[in-house]
Amino acid sequence: MKIERTGMAGSLESSDVLVTIDPNVGRGVEVVLKSIAESRFGKQIRLLIEETLSELEVVEARVQVEDRSALDCTIKARLVTAIHRAAKMSHPDWEHLS
Amino acid sequence: MSYPPDRESLERFLGERGLSLDPDIDYAVACYDGAEIVGAGALSGYVLKDIAVAVEAEGAGVASAIVSHLLAEEGRRGLSHLFVFTRPAAEATFVSLGFTVVARVPQRVVLLENREEGIEQYIAALGSERTTVPGISGSIVVNCNPFTLGHRYLIETAARECEVVHVFVVDEERSLFPADVRFRLVQEGVAGLGNVEVHHGDKYIISAATFPSYFLKEPSEVVATHALLDLTIFGGRIAPALGITRRFVGEEPYCEVTGTYNQIMQQLLPDFGIEVTVIPRLERENAAISASTVRNAIRDDNLDLVRSLVPPSTYEFLISEEAMPIVRRIKTVNSRH
Repeated sequence: MKIERTGMAGSLESSDVLVTIDPNVGRGVEVVLKSIAESRFGKQIRLLIEETLSELEVVEARVQVEDRSALDCTIKARLVTAIHRAAKMSHPDWEHLS
Repeated sequence: MSYPPDRESLERFLGERGLSLDPDIDYAVACYDGAEIVGAGALSGYVLKDIAVAVEAEGAGVASAIVSHLLAEEGRRGLSHLFVFTRPAAEATFVSLGFTVVARVPQRVVLLENREEGIEQYIAALGSERTTVPGISGSIVVNCNPFTLGHRYLIETAARECEVVHVFVVDEERSLFPADVRFRLVQEGVAGLGNVEVHHGDKYIISAATFPSYFLKEPSEVVATHALLDLTIFGGRIAPALGITRRFVGEEPYCEVTGTYNQIMQQLLPDFGIEVTVIPRLERENAAISASTVRNAIRDDNLDLVRSLVPPSTYEFLISEEAMPIVRRIKTVNSRH
């Protein structure tokens, strides 16, 4: 999916995550993760982000994730929504979503 | 949050906490506990400000609810690089919400942004355009609405005294001439000068985030706070990155806000090792040449006067087809900028 503009999903409330996706022309994928659980879950969260981006075939994007102790399913849901908004897709991309 | 908008209560809530809704606010939100406001926040473009939470409601997630709501609104607008302008006491709250401090004015204000590497990236981009110079690096910050012979004179004067002059053009879209046009006219206007580099001010120099007063009429106390913030960023972060030790500015006979800013600049920048030089304005028939004079001449269709106040590059633009919508706007809008 091609990132055309800013896409945001989620919130800063406890147990949620705020995902912001921006175009990143010529710079590939850059992930900025802010999480209080960085030392414990940082690696796992980054892996989840990478997998999701790969599933939706996103090759160029700036992904900022502010984690407020969210579960994996929440992170993934917010990420998928933000990507769709950034790609200006109003219908879910069922083909790429498992 | 399904109460009808009640601006008065919101203003009262903020007033009790020493805040007020700035004139340039384009969105405001209030958080209610029953019928009482316990928190509020507002937006001005990409800047979050006037955020306050009642003491009794602290720790209940009100701040994160308000900030989340404001961020969602910014997201709907397609804005993702955001700033927060708030009291020093609130710094810790915003840092915990993921914001990074850009600059502080002790006891007055703190500016934060939601990208850790925001200002660093801006500074790195400035540096990548330059080569290290042995002599003096000077600087000028301009709006150029539009670029005039007065601006040219100021830049030429600085260029004579420095090895290189860095000219920063204000990027905010609050002037009659769009930012990209203003920038281009500056580049064209200094084309003959070999030691001048033109940069974008981006969001870090005279912007809605660093010096909102430039675009509003504010009481001088507020102007002073904003000026201190903008100059702290310039002196503390931007100037050192480029080795700047001098800043040049034209004398300001007309605008009170700019006058206050210049005064504070002369007091503050020396603390950062930057010498400030005030250059008297270039005059034509005993009147200082200024962009507002040019805009008035345009408004009056006085092309002869316009031609005498601007370089050929600016004049060529003003009579071109591309300038027509701008000229029309100048004639119909009664704007200070």
